[in-house]
Amino acid sequence: MKSTFLHLIQDVASSVQPDSTADNAVHTAYDSLWAGNGIPTQAPSGLEQVMLSDEKIFVVLAVVLIIWFGIILLIMRTDRHLKSVERSVEENIKFEKDDL
Amino acid sequence: MGINVKRYILVRNLVFGWLTVVIFAGFLLNFPKINILEHTARNLYFHVPMWFTMMAAAFVSGYHSLKVLQTGDALRDIRALQAARVGTFFGLLGLTTGIIWSKFTWYVGTDVWWNFDPRQIMVSIQLLIYGGYFVLRSAFDEPKKRAKISAVFNLFAMTALPFLLYVIPRQMESLHPGAEGNPAFSAITHPVMRLVFYPAIIGFIGMFWVLYTQRVRVAWLKYRVTQESEM
Repeated sequence: MKSTFLHLIQDVASSVQPDSTADNAVHTAYDSLWAGNGIPTQAPSGLEQVMLSDEKIFVVLAVVLIIWFGIILLIMRTDRHLKSVERSVEENIKFEKDDL
Repeated sequence: MGINVKRYILVRNLVFGWLTVVIFAGFLLNFPKINILEHTARNLYFHVPMWFTMMAAAFVSGYHSLKVLQTGDALRDIRALQAARVGTFFGLLGLTTGIIWSKFTWYVGTDVWWNFDPRQIMVSIQLLIYGGYFVLRSAFDEPKKRAKISAVFNLFAMTALPFLLYVIPRQMESLHPGAEGNPAFSAITHPVMRLVFYPAIIGFIGMFWVLYTQRVRVAWLKYRVTQESEM
């Protein structure tokens, strides 16, 4: 665990001050060198095996669901504010008794 | 000055339909798969528009803050606050979706959820700046003073955003494309993906507008009833 943290710090340090001895030509945006640099890897765990199946389509599903639940959460918060406004409207405005 | 509710309802319905089509197209449109990325390339349609939306929200918020300084209008202050709130919300969504994407794509088998990617760090700073804006607002009891001083801070937040989100991260090695000086698309992003990508940006900015206008309506009502604009 401690060594993982050390590797992370080294990664950050080497990205700020590029190591002149490293072959930067092999680094592209999408290869895993940046991610895997010096970090010990193990076999995919249970959760990862699920997410990696079917060509990683479940990762896309997870991302879409996060956005969806986030929007739901925001709307519910807005609703809570609306409720408090409704309450103060009822306190401030005295309705006359309506007879049908 | 008021809120056009009819226009809100119209745009809301359009946005809901538009985004439904975008999500369908995002899952159905075929493109050549790349090693490591595979289907997760589709996150281009969902993760990246979050940041476009956050930037749009910051500009909307900054515009209304500028108007607050010019006119001292209470509704402008409400608009500035709500745009910043919803913009920060989209920023948090972008950060969370980015963490999930990278964890199961590049960090498989490493126990790493957060790898200090330059863009992650800068974006966190930007979100903290907006956190500062919200805290600053709560420090004032006098509404006029609160509106003016927080508007100045909000203009600073808007100015910092393009640098923290785009300029600085491009100077550093990163998982994100653009580090090689490419402005928007990496050379290996298939052109057909633009068919969904651009509509997705429009759709999510529309979604921002809907959520933001909804909150402005509630906050404006609250202000007219209680003379209190914070929400």
